[in-house]
Amino acid sequence: MLAEFQQALADLTASPELCIKVRQDPGVLLERYELTEREWRRLVGIVNHKGMECACIVYRANRLAPLALNIPLTCKALGSKLREVASEFWTACPETNVHFFIETDKFCWFLRSKLTEGGDFPSEVWPVLLWEHGIVAEAIKESYIEA
Amino acid sequence: MAQTRPAVGLLYNPATPDLVSHAPDLVEYIAAMPDRLWFDFGPGEPGRRFHRTLEAIQEVKRHAKGRILAGHGIGLSLPSAVPMDEVFLDAVARMSEDLGGFQWYTEHLSVFITPRGSVPNAQAGLGLPVVYDDETFEIVGSKLRRMRDVLGCPLALENGSFFTPVPDIDVTEPQFLNRLHGEGLCDTLLDIHNLYVGWRNGGVSPADYMEELDSDAVIEIHLAGGDDFAGFYMDSHSGLTPPEVWQLAFDYVPRFNRLRAITFEFQETYYEKITPEALVEELRWMHQLADLCAVESPIQEMYLEVAHAG
Repeated sequence: MLAEFQQALADLTASPELCIKVRQDPGVLLERYELTEREWRRLVGIVNHKGMECACIVYRANRLAPLALNIPLTCKALGSKLREVASEFWTACPETNVHFFIETDKFCWFLRSKLTEGGDFPSEVWPVLLWEHGIVAEAIKESYIEA
Repeated sequence: MAQTRPAVGLLYNPATPDLVSHAPDLVEYIAAMPDRLWFDFGPGEPGRRFHRTLEAIQEVKRHAKGRILAGHGIGLSLPSAVPMDEVFLDAVARMSEDLGGFQWYTEHLSVFITPRGSVPNAQAGLGLPVVYDDETFEIVGSKLRRMRDVLGCPLALENGSFFTPVPDIDVTEPQFLNRLHGEGLCDTLLDIHNLYVGWRNGGVSPADYMEELDSDAVIEIHLAGGDDFAGFYMDSHSGLTPPEVWQLAFDYVPRFNRLRAITFEFQETYYEKITPEALVEELRWMHQLADLCAVESPIQEMYLEVAHAG
């Protein structure tokens, strides 16, 4: 099924972990997706292509760009935790939004919930997150000016 | 006989007004992206889905005045195995109307929307490669027919830059684009930098690709620059057109008899790094290329004869 093929390809691109699993056991794809034999072979070929690593990098870079641009101080305050929390966010919210403010807003709410849960985060994250999230929220609010 | 040549222009971004102020006469054409002129909260959003950024729209209108205007979209994801997003398409049509009318509209031949996402317009995060076969052709073709009805202007599809080509396909990408053109569904927007990106990362030779492509299908070309990262070459739109891409452009683009525009793309966050002066020089090179593409136009000749007859 073409729809299943496209979804599997999107999921693989978003998850280096899934790529590794499929390389080790290509049968994983058939357990998760309704694929024809030809579609399955195509996906196995893609996941073993050297460009797959690059596709995964670009996916992560594209998702990191809105955060680096709109909440740079929060990213800096997160320091080495950024990689962990961003990966967790991308797993929890696999669908991206092409609009940078909306994508950033989603991340800010995710991070706020993590901080509220009391995870091990640097103390300076909260104040800069609140400040930068406020700026992002204001930018989105301004879009509501259309009558 | 009168001559026509393609227009030289830019894919509009927030840095465009400043660049245009440095060389207003060198920018004859603007391609505007509706996707960047609104916030799309998605089909599931209660109330209004699209919140248009009115100030940005006004700015595009100001800069489009006296210039050729086309639309360039990313949100319809034509090859995705999902129904056409009719609300999105209507919003594009309304944007076209508000900006004075797109003379043509281009979209990408890439999968951006995933069919089984948790929300109806789930984005894949980057353009995914396409399976070039009859099933995809039917999906893309039926959506193009619908687009033509709603937008009422010529359409073109852009070749993507993929890192992982789909193996064991029925037809090549140029053959797929040729068929779309041959059946009157759309023309081609040829991104030569995307061809270069594909080749740098182990894909097909841009020259072979362009030899296979129907030269009558191409109505617009994209030029851009990228950079190296982690052993790969990226389509980051972070710099000027590389010399190899210019060489390809000067070798092949004059063959495209129906070419309407030569467009440069850059990412606005790199504007200061690239510098406006270098971009003005880039525009001058684009004009050199456009001059080489000048073709004799019997239609224009006939028009002039009729217009001057009285």
